[in-house]
Amino acid sequence: MTLAPVDYVILALYFAFVLGIGWVLRRKVSTSGDFLLSGRALPVWITSLAFLAANLGAQELIGMSASGAKYGIMTSHFYWIGAIPAMLFVGVFMMPFYYGSRARSVPEYLKLRFDEKTRGFNALTFATMTVFSSGISMYALGLLLQLVLGWSFTTSVLCSAAIVLAYTFLGGLTSAIYNEVLQFLLIVIGFAPLAILAVVKAGGWDGMAARIPAVMTHSWAYMGSASQNPMGVEVFGLVAGLGFVLSFGYWCTDFLVVQRAMAADSMASARKTPLLAAIPKMFIPFIVIVPGIAAVALSKMAVGYSLPMKNGGYDYDQVLTTLMAQFYPAGMLGVGLTGLMASFMSGMAGNVTAFNTVFTYDIYQSYIRPNAPDRHYLHVGRFTTVAGVALSIGTAYLAQHYNNIMDLLQLVFGFVNAPLFATFLLGMFWKRSTGHGAFTGLLAGTTAAALTHGLTTAEAKGGWIASLVHFPSTMAQNFWIAIFAWSACFVITIAVSLATRPRPEKELEGLVYGLTNVRHEDGGPWYVRPGPLAVVVGILLVILNVWFW
Amino acid sequence: MLDLRIPSGLFFGLLGLILSAYGLFAPGERAPLTETNVNLYCGLFMMAFAAFLLALAWRAARKRPS
Repeated sequence: MTLAPVDYVILALYFAFVLGIGWVLRRKVSTSGDFLLSGRALPVWITSLAFLAANLGAQELIGMSASGAKYGIMTSHFYWIGAIPAMLFVGVFMMPFYYGSRARSVPEYLKLRFDEKTRGFNALTFATMTVFSSGISMYALGLLLQLVLGWSFTTSVLCSAAIVLAYTFLGGLTSAIYNEVLQFLLIVIGFAPLAILAVVKAGGWDGMAARIPAVMTHSWAYMGSASQNPMGVEVFGLVAGLGFVLSFGYWCTDFLVVQRAMAADSMASARKTPLLAAIPKMFIPFIVIVPGIAAVALSKMAVGYSLPMKNGGYDYDQVLTTLMAQFYPAGMLGVGLTGLMASFMSGMAGNVTAFNTVFTYDIYQSYIRPNAPDRHYLHVGRFTTVAGVALSIGTAYLAQHYNNIMDLLQLVFGFVNAPLFATFLLGMFWKRSTGHGAFTGLLAGTTAAALTHGLTTAEAKGGWIASLVHFPSTMAQNFWIAIFAWSACFVITIAVSLATRPRPEKELEGLVYGLTNVRHEDGGPWYVRPGPLAVVVGILLVILNVWFW
Repeated sequence: MLDLRIPSGLFFGLLGLILSAYGLFAPGERAPLTETNVNLYCGLFMMAFAAFLLALAWRAARKRPS
């Protein structure tokens, strides 16, 4: 794939706007709160699109179209059973406590609700994880540009990192969020035409369905047993593991996304952020998954398209870029590529802005230097932004050289994350749960995750203790690891809480359900009230699931 | 606070202008698998979207006299 001059003009135009937004917003930053929390002043349409975009990284675009080509429409479970219910839950039930507690971060909420050690554990693991995940996505993009355009790995990594650094350093979280919205719009406008062109060429949905195995055009029909579907997952593992533990764990407790909602200008806006984000999120599968399915159908037609190959097997990760090369002429190709770069940048900026907030408030201000004037923390926040980007570059190179280390790290982070939702659920909805309970519960959950991985095998992964159970796919294995980790954390937190002294109810006001006065936005049309809005989104979700059954 | 609809509108307006101009003056630019003038149609759509964003921003600014 080669780029024409017009493609470079488009790329340059985009970079100019991204940097310009950072430049204009630099004047709005005078306190650490402005820099790290956007001064809690953003309107809801901006926070909700940023809520989506911070998660819509390049890996998601490439990975989802790859899964679309590999598994078909059942990949949409990651949205329709995965993300959306969790987004509704965090908006309706959890945001009153995050936003209302005035905590500045998710770890800080844990400190207010439980104790210092629970916060410390969450802050440290989260900070490390964000640095590594932004490094991994940088690595993925560097690899892609190298492969597709022949750019050097170092050039693409350093250029993109420099631009992200420039606009987050100048305008802080507001600048990151503003750019995420622009990036989101660009991703949709850049990739929706590709989906339309590919599907039309493949003969529409019916034409596609006629050319590919039926299992690829149904999301639920083949979920009864793991042997029936290419994912190797059965319905309980899917709903409990992905739909409940993993999705709720991510969307409800990951500060990367929650931070966007916490930047909203009011409680009502904070609650509506994930609810409104859920509406476009529902339709993203049509842009990212459906082109992958269309690619399979096209490869079965005599139109001159074949699925990309590598080492004798299909190279699904290249599906999206090969489709772009087939359907986009110079000009639109530049837009598509810019969209890909944009998705990478929004993912990276999301990680960097979450990292600098957690480091500044939850690590530096808590353990290294408390009680300094705010000016000092603003400087620390800015410095941490630079350090965060530098560390991400480091991890990108680490990933390039030691692929196995990265796999191992991601595995370990998975162990740490899987039980987290049990801690928050009990923390927010059971006033009797205690700090000791939460902390031991988290450790028990992480241990249970590691043990499950050590005792089961799937696709030659895991089983480093013994191989008691064999799963048909690593996806099924991951879902079950999450289920065991969550259950262990849930049970142990309850048991230890009952054995330890509860905190006085007075201290838990604003932090726990039942002791908090959640204001209901009565009056006004239904679409401005969280409850009815969530119901409508839920109905749409059911319709989609049934439609593609 | 900067109204984000203004820079977004300007960005998509310029992008749409470049694309539709390219589609008009280089109509022979076609990708292998399509006969459509992708640049022209996408460019026109982007300009319409840009106009929508700018109109919203203009209406909001008029309501808020400061």
